[in-house]
Amino acid sequence: MSSRAKQKPDSTLRRFWLKWRFHINVLLLLVPLGFMPKYFADAALFRGDTGLGEREIGEVPVGPWSLRLAELRNEAPTLDGPAGHMKSFTAALCERCRDQVKATYLRIGKPRSLRAAGVIFFGTPHRMGAMLPIPEKTKADAELWITMEGWDGAMHQASLPLSQASPATLAWLNQQGGKP
Amino acid sequence: MSKKSRSKLWFLVHSWLALPIWFFVLIVCVTGTLAVISQEIVWLANPQMRASQPSDDAPLLSYDQIIAAIKQAEPNTLVESISRPDESHFALDVGVSYPDGRSVTVYVNPYSGVIQGTAPAFDFKAFTRALHGWWLVPFTNGYSWGWYLVSFLSLPLLASLVTGLVVYKRFWKGFLRPTLRIRHGARIFWGDFHRLSGIWSIWFIAVISISSTWFLIQAFMFDNQVTISTAPVALVVPRESVPVTTDGSPAPMISLETAIAQAKERIPGLDDSFVTLPANAYSYLTVGGRSWYPLMFQTADINPYNGDIASTRLLSNRSGLELVTESMRPLHTGDFGGIWIKLIWFFFGLILSMMVLSGLLIWTKRTALATANALKRSNKQTRVQAATEVSQ
Repeated sequence: MSSRAKQKPDSTLRRFWLKWRFHINVLLLLVPLGFMPKYFADAALFRGDTGLGEREIGEVPVGPWSLRLAELRNEAPTLDGPAGHMKSFTAALCERCRDQVKATYLRIGKPRSLRAAGVIFFGTPHRMGAMLPIPEKTKADAELWITMEGWDGAMHQASLPLSQASPATLAWLNQQGGKP
Repeated sequence: MSKKSRSKLWFLVHSWLALPIWFFVLIVCVTGTLAVISQEIVWLANPQMRASQPSDDAPLLSYDQIIAAIKQAEPNTLVESISRPDESHFALDVGVSYPDGRSVTVYVNPYSGVIQGTAPAFDFKAFTRALHGWWLVPFTNGYSWGWYLVSFLSLPLLASLVTGLVVYKRFWKGFLRPTLRIRHGARIFWGDFHRLSGIWSIWFIAVISISSTWFLIQAFMFDNQVTISTAPVALVVPRESVPVTTDGSPAPMISLETAIAQAKERIPGLDDSFVTLPANAYSYLTVGGRSWYPLMFQTADINPYNGDIASTRLLSNRSGLELVTESMRPLHTGDFGGIWIKLIWFFFGLILSMMVLSGLLIWTKRTALATANALKRSNKQTRVQAATEVSQ
């Protein structure tokens, strides 16, 4: 029966296929054309041509130092396989502290010690990035803590509300909370 | 099924493999061909990327001298990595970051240390590779579906090779008596062309289709959290071995020459083609390059404060399986032995693109007809069968 159905020249599906099969090429070629603006926007973002990130958070003073913080993407955390949800931040150190700061860390909630200061920033003082894991159960009033360590052993901390650091993350957390 | 009708079936399968997405297949082949020599195309277009030896005995500057030269010319520019392209006549690719937060590649003359220019915002090399490799579909969570779309083509390509050799009876005779009839019309010409280029491309089509099948498997494994990697997890410099300075200035680091010497001691025959500077105070300095085996890099992570080698990734560290799978990418791209290998890959890439095109031309001239005939025949057969059934 099935072989006869295949041979039936006037089956609608078959007619449709015969008529449109070569148009799949057109659809496939539209794909890269459609993604091209995003590709070039991303290339510019990673080169830093469009600033530190998609959304600048601003200058955050940390003790005697400060850093300019930005969200790499103005969007909710993305799932990174078994590692869970991640949110990328970028930062640049203030000009006068570039040679004094040994390391900069990011964490949700206040770190208990320097050894638990969170994820470390990678890159140069001009442009560095950190991937912060965001647990789905993070509270909406959570704070983002920045820890800076000096070459002389000094440690300074500052915090800002997550709502200010990343409204998109907060919106995503509220959505997660809605889940049973 | 008779021998004749079986070979006819093989032939039909072969004819229909690239269809109806032939134009997509063609563009993937063409972009891949361009990607092979994309670096050379940029070199031709951009004089800032060129650097020839000023005289026969002019020495290459050491990486330390390069960094010193950059620091002198642009004191606020920070170097992140230095990489020396395979071919001479190319400037060094130096990854730097500027005080305005941009992170770019600059071309630096390896003989004079002069910064010759910044890589243009439109990176032709990266673009052709992204177009060929994942059809520009962004990677959001795991591999992009564009990657699957392109690498899936490896299966019909492999099947084309196999069925092509099955339907081309005694194809090995084509090596001894190459036929390319020019004066017998387009159908004959394209048929001869398709067969002739096909047999000479057997090795190339096998390499491309098998390596891209691996790319498909690789994506599938990654997205399902399957790993065959024996690479160690990235280490950090232990807190106690990072010095604290009393005046609060950055702790001094070993010179790149010292690091390279350490790496060469551990990896005999290492060609130090790249160094990556520590990405923060707790990360290692990486020195790497090829040695006797052209398809793979070997690297050493070195403590930038005391010069100790913390970990290495050598040929001998890789499992047998990894030696095979990690060889797939250089085999696919032809990027492992300088310009001549690339030109061979480029040439056969063009031939493969032409085979898609010639295959289509043959199909339009013949297979459409053959398929219609075959359908007609089997229709007749069923009708005859039905008639006999009724009469019985």
